[in-house]
Amino acid sequence: MKVGLFVTCLVDLMRPSIGFAALRLLEAAGCEVVVPPTQTCCGQPGYNSGDRIAAKTLAKKVLKEFDGCDYIVVPSGSCGGMIRVHYPALFADEPALHETVQRVAERTYELTDFLVNVAKLESVPGRYSGPLTYHDSCSGLRELHVQAQPRALLAKLPGVKLAEMCESSTCCGFGGTFSVKFGDISARMADNKCVHIARTGAGAIVAGDLGCLLNIEGRLRRRGDLQTRVLHIAEVLAGEDGVCK
Amino acid sequence: MSARENILARIGKARGPAAAVDVDDVIRRHPRGPIPPLEKNLARLFGEQATRLASDVVSAATIAEVPDLVARYLGERRLTMQTVCWPGLATLDWRAAGIEAQARAARGEDMVGITGAFAGIAETGTLMLLSGPQTPATVSLLPETHIAVVENARIVATMEDAWDRLRAEYGTPPRAVNFISGPSRTADVEQTVTLGAHGPYRVLIIVVGDARANPA
Amino acid sequence: MQVTAMHFKRKAAENLSNEKLQRALEKLQTKFVNGRAAAIAELPNFDQIRNAAADVRERVINNLDRYLLRFEQEATARGAVVHWAETADDVNRIVADIAVLHGVQRIVKSKSMVSEECGLNDYLESQGLNVLETDLGEYILQLAHEPPSHIVAPVVHKTKEDIADLFVDKHHRPRTTQIAELCREAREVLRPGFLAADMGISGGNFIIAETGSVLIITNEGNGRLSTTLPRVHVAVTGIEKVVPTLEDVTTLLRLLPRSATGQSITNYVSVLTGVKGRDDADGAEHFHIILLDNGRSRLLGTELQPMLRCIRCGACMNHCPVYQNIGGHAYGWVYPGPMGSVLTPSFVGLENALDLPNASTFCGQCAVVCPVKIPLPDLMRHLRNRQVERHLRPWQERAALRVWSWMAQHPALYALSTRVAARLLRLFAGGKKRLSHLPGASGWTEERDMPAPAGRTFRDLYRVGRRA
Repeated sequence: MKVGLFVTCLVDLMRPSIGFAALRLLEAAGCEVVVPPTQTCCGQPGYNSGDRIAAKTLAKKVLKEFDGCDYIVVPSGSCGGMIRVHYPALFADEPALHETVQRVAERTYELTDFLVNVAKLESVPGRYSGPLTYHDSCSGLRELHVQAQPRALLAKLPGVKLAEMCESSTCCGFGGTFSVKFGDISARMADNKCVHIARTGAGAIVAGDLGCLLNIEGRLRRRGDLQTRVLHIAEVLAGEDGVCK
Repeated sequence: MSARENILARIGKARGPAAAVDVDDVIRRHPRGPIPPLEKNLARLFGEQATRLASDVVSAATIAEVPDLVARYLGERRLTMQTVCWPGLATLDWRAAGIEAQARAARGEDMVGITGAFAGIAETGTLMLLSGPQTPATVSLLPETHIAVVENARIVATMEDAWDRLRAEYGTPPRAVNFISGPSRTADVEQTVTLGAHGPYRVLIIVVGDARANPA
Repeated sequence: MQVTAMHFKRKAAENLSNEKLQRALEKLQTKFVNGRAAAIAELPNFDQIRNAAADVRERVINNLDRYLLRFEQEATARGAVVHWAETADDVNRIVADIAVLHGVQRIVKSKSMVSEECGLNDYLESQGLNVLETDLGEYILQLAHEPPSHIVAPVVHKTKEDIADLFVDKHHRPRTTQIAELCREAREVLRPGFLAADMGISGGNFIIAETGSVLIITNEGNGRLSTTLPRVHVAVTGIEKVVPTLEDVTTLLRLLPRSATGQSITNYVSVLTGVKGRDDADGAEHFHIILLDNGRSRLLGTELQPMLRCIRCGACMNHCPVYQNIGGHAYGWVYPGPMGSVLTPSFVGLENALDLPNASTFCGQCAVVCPVKIPLPDLMRHLRNRQVERHLRPWQERAALRVWSWMAQHPALYALSTRVAARLLRLFAGGKKRLSHLPGASGWTEERDMPAPAGRTFRDLYRVGRRA
């Protein structure tokens, strides 16, 4: 199956290792992976800020770039949700595009959801060992029903000990531009998350969205915690260099 | 144009071409929504739910046993034996049990009120009381202690069942239908539930009659 | 009630550093979130009931005028007088006129959010009438001259010490901080008020078209007392509160208390129909029902219509991580949390509550717990759309978005800019690999570092054949 990898603008700019980890996992699952070279942004910043026009322009670009793939896989519940759940709503007033939007949306999957439910990946290349805890990113959880999948994949790593935190599905406070516009509230929400992470005693916090991870890591370090590792689920599962105990 | 006309006009305009509903038909049929599965032993369920909501629940085989049960309840708690009651209960032998029961509406200073009930609702352990000439609402509301006598045969499963009974026996609702689920309470102070707000501090429910009498 | 939603950011900041409030909010969260979860778990067919509840509300709203007319017909046939009010001022005027009509001097009130919308108490007092709030929380607010901070638990922001201080000041009794004693004291102080009142004002949790009834739920009993003892009863509620039948209201009652406080049912549910009959032992001789619009009808036929389904349970704010951290007063009007973020701009004007629909991460938990399936994040997004359409956003924001959008449409330029940005940010971060200052993003860096990027973009690395 031909899988189009949508790396997301955050991964592209801030942490390419996540993109390469996703690539490695998809290839381990036997997929033929293409990475459309002109991809940039899914349009969510504009969409959530109320600028539908800007959002639509970028969404149309995504549709063009990824229509033709059997599947579109995204290492992010947030961007995945944007394409799968919100593109149909975004283009509700353009019936001419319904078919295309429907097709692309239906074929779009968050990474762990794809690996478990479509590719049915049996084993993962990673070698992480030690206690870690998992944060359920909001869009992944509530828009794409991603909750059991990352845990099922983590269970395939014999060295991993998953210590669930209290309120693992409470928002970390990122929310895109919210993190800057309402920085004090956002930081407090991140702080609450850090407290819950600390209580698990885990050496690492893992999640499926880089936005959450940057937010959590930012607050951890400012709190003086330079120890707790902050990792994307793809990195843990793929066993990229430097990401094993 | 009056406010009424303006508001109705705005609503009508906004509705647009959506299918008009036949209000009369909906109301005539009054279909029920989904109901949670409930056990068949309604009296048992009623007792369990009412107890959960801090009512005290006892049974009596016949209505004649009620005055003694009341006397025991009040005596155990060192409460006054001076009560007010619904006229329909005045003929019980209160005197023999050492209780004074005046058949009238309650006043601010009355401490114990004894009522009957139109029905009991097993799903939530709730009493259903109807207002009327013989059923003053103040008796279940003003005193610190409310004692309610409910027939086992009138314990129904759900509020839906209770409405059907009301329709069958009365047609339309009386001025007030009061559903009572335990002593009055508040949690306004530090989210701490405190029993006894403006209404009674305690509720005793006496279920009278045989379980088998309940058609369920 | 006066609108202070334009001060959202400042008040939110104050509340974040208010230790006492933070502890109170923690308690609220634990009680209400856990309470709801336990109560919902008791309903094996909860999803089915929730779908049915949403259906009931949606059907009514699509036929609001027809059901309101039927309600008016039934209520009037039973001796009630139905009034229609377009604005808050209309409500106030109507209530005052009713008071004059019936020679009323002393009024007791049970909880009504609609009356808060109208500022009814203040108006009545300006007309020389004596109004006593009887819901314990509302009574405390009345003494403190404060607005509620939650629609179900209005004084969640107060400790028992705060309340003890208030009571000592107003009741002149020995100070106590025992919760049971405080409640007993309130009961004793308020009881004479009930007995002496000429008029009781209540809200209406629902009004029932089938029977022309007003349904009120309370735990304290003040709702019953306010509507049974005085000779005049005035019920004020919103036009959207109508429900077709007794069965429909029962479906909603299965979910409202569970969603609000975790109770299977509120202590008292009163269904009030018409006036005292000739032989009745008690009840009001005069029953006035006021139906308020105040902007509700203008939501019909718009993308915001689903907001009218709301049954005022408060679950959304109980589960909202933003509300949980800043409390209700920051929202600056009657309705806080997610529902307030939709209702306030809708009722008081978009431009007077710009921050409210934006102060959300769209985590979606509110929509998950709403018993009538209101898509709250979608509604907040619509309001954000409207702000952009009406040019109410700061020009810097719009410019930044336009620049981003434009760049993202031009891949070559985008690739170059991100390559440069990645390298520069990495450089500035130095050995620490994180930045503690970011121009234009002080909202982030005030209390958080920004982890440094890797230094090369994915696109760049992939292009040159690197795999990791």
